[in-house]
Amino acid sequence: MKVYECCGVETLTKKYFCPDCGGEEFADREISDSGTVYSFTKIHIAPAEFAHIAPYYVVLVDLDEADCKVTTRMLEEVKIGDSVTLDKLEHGAYIYRKV
Amino acid sequence: MTKTYIHGIGMTKFGSLPDFSMKDLLLKACSEALKDAGRPKIDAVFVGNFLGGSISNQEILGAIVANDLGLGYVPSTKVEGACASGGIALRQGILGILSGEYETVLVAGVEKMKHATTADVTQGINAAMDTITNEKSAGLTFPGFFGVLANRYFYETGATKEHLARVALKNRENGVNNPLAQFPKPTTLEEIMNARMITDPLGLFDCSPMTDGAAAVVISRKKSPIHILASSQVSGPTKMQDTKNLLSIPAIGESGRIAYEKAGLGPKDIDVVEIHDCFSMTEIIAIEELGFFPKLEGWKAVEEGRTKVTGDKPVNTSGGLLSRGHPIGATGIAQIYQLVRQLRGNAANQVKEPRIALAQNLGGTGSYSTVHILERV
Ligand SMILES: [Zn+2]
Repeated sequence: MKVYECCGVETLTKKYFCPDCGGEEFADREISDSGTVYSFTKIHIAPAEFAHIAPYYVVLVDLDEADCKVTTRMLEEVKIGDSVTLDKLEHGAYIYRKV
Repeated sequence: MTKTYIHGIGMTKFGSLPDFSMKDLLLKACSEALKDAGRPKIDAVFVGNFLGGSISNQEILGAIVANDLGLGYVPSTKVEGACASGGIALRQGILGILSGEYETVLVAGVEKMKHATTADVTQGINAAMDTITNEKSAGLTFPGFFGVLANRYFYETGATKEHLARVALKNRENGVNNPLAQFPKPTTLEEIMNARMITDPLGLFDCSPMTDGAAAVVISRKKSPIHILASSQVSGPTKMQDTKNLLSIPAIGESGRIAYEKAGLGPKDIDVVEIHDCFSMTEIIAIEELGFFPKLEGWKAVEEGRTKVTGDKPVNTSGGLLSRGHPIGATGIAQIYQLVRQLRGNAANQVKEPRIALAQNLGGTGSYSTVHILERV
């Protein structure tokens, strides 16, 4: 996936202006999808549009090659520290799996 | 310099109120506050509300208040800031007085939630997240955010689900003594620990409920025994993956810092507190962010009972959102209601002669936070 950087802060989404320097120029680079589980929750009670897949895990992944995190969905049980990577993109969601 | 004072308060019972419309609740709380203030001439109205349009198909709440209460052709405004709608409405009223435009302002908050299905309310509440993101697409929800936060908090501090349960138990013990609270029934640590999971590790008792209710306050530049020492409001991150430190909700910390600075006070000067315990986890983060306890040690204060009514820093003597209930737009005003009663000396769970009180109201997962500091003069 791609990350954007200005003033040492890396994010997945490109902002209009850098909150630190106000600049509009962001460096971007491709990084590996792999990362480490930073934290997670198992969602038992889901909003209507996700009720059919509950329970599922929402997992905050610390990306290995950037100082940046990504919110993902997983269907298998995880714990903090597990190595994970992208399985697929589905309706705008990053679906991750254990490696 | 202009100062702002509280002259009157009103609040409905919180809970499931099928016999009352949103308008009924709003007018009831407002009329009570106006009578408590001695029916002053009102120069403007601000109403905090979040879901009126989406689940009750009712807007123009400001004009309804002005018209039905016979306040005349005064300006009136609905204010939206998710769960901080009430706190932000109060701040708008204060700013209107400080600007010199108004002398006396009626501020209210209301929500009607229990008539709608859980799915519809959950969908409506999701509007308080940034909905065009990969996070929303991943299925993240409000309780989901605080579940992710809680698991990391446990990992880094050694706190456990039992500490969350102790927050829920304390707020229930307080709520049981508050006749206006949604949950009058006592509970036990065991019942809380074994309740069904919502978003692991948060169970049913760790999450604030859906609630009907309204609260109102009359503020004025004319003197009264309750002075509003400081009002602050900030915005914070709208996405979980963008937070620099997941275990910090910077909007809470920053709104607290600004309010302390304006008041010329610090956390140690605060005698009684109402904070935004939308989830048990949020209360622990908030008592850290507001400087009552060191970062990552709020759970120890809970364990030691320091936030109980009998502790050195009583938090949520009303029962908080968890037990008083959380009618979204009304919550920020209900906090003020409880603190004014504390300062007047006639509150549920009265603490001994408090002089300085602090209310903190959160919107979204840290998108908004307001802090108000009140002083008995
Ligand atoms: Zn920059």
